[in-house]
Amino acid sequence: MSQLLKLEIDSQLSNTTLVAMAVRGVCAMTTLSPVEINRLELCLVEIVNNAIEHAYENKAGYPVEICVDLDKTMMNIAVSDWGQSIPDEVIQDKAEVAVDPEYPETWLCSGRGLHIVNKLMDQVSYESDQGKNSFTMKKELRH
Amino acid sequence: MAFEHHDEGHYTVVKIDESRFDASIAEAFKTYVFDLIEEGKSEIVVDLAAVRFMDSSGLGALVAGLKKLSGNGSFSLASAQPAVKDLFDLTSMDKLFKLHDSVDEAVKGD
Repeated sequence: MSQLLKLEIDSQLSNTTLVAMAVRGVCAMTTLSPVEINRLELCLVEIVNNAIEHAYENKAGYPVEICVDLDKTMMNIAVSDWGQSIPDEVIQDKAEVAVDPEYPETWLCSGRGLHIVNKLMDQVSYESDQGKNSFTMKKELRH
Repeated sequence: MAFEHHDEGHYTVVKIDESRFDASIAEAFKTYVFDLIEEGKSEIVVDLAAVRFMDSSGLGALVAGLKKLSGNGSFSLASAQPAVKDLFDLTSMDKLFKLHDSVDEAVKGD
């Protein structure tokens, strides 16, 4: 049987800590190691930041919903917004620019969030349905 | 105040006095460091001892500081905690930044 936690924050970056701490609390109920919990927190923060910064262009006053679905085998986290959806080419861009100390043009200051999430989570998906955009990420649990 | 700095020899040590170096303060950090560089500080050590969590925006602000120097000086990091070191490994940023175990070690010079 799965358990579901639904949270909602206002679209302000300072609120990201609230969901990060809440989800860390849920993670403490699972078999995830401290390193895995830190990484899951990082992925969650990256996706919530994206919703605030890109879907809502850093404007406060809009909802960001976080649903955590937990059972013995996996943790599923869906982050939803009702703003601008992520362009297909951004979602499909799996290739990360390799950092080269010799070439400052490879020292990117942004655009790493989704690559980090793709690397760390077991499965990710993104869909837009009737104005609601949901980024879903899944982490398998040892049991 | 989230950031403070002091001089140690010819180094400027910038302390991030927050447990979370994330998108909510990354832009403010960038402005703080850019101001120091424009004032002529060029040997910068960022003290990360208090930072327990960093996201890609925090990382981006550090990269922006490094780029701002355009090779005229040094920009290194000290006292990174495990989650921060993990982020550096994951993003290969350990290739760009020198990570010192402590501020003392960072200001000893090369």
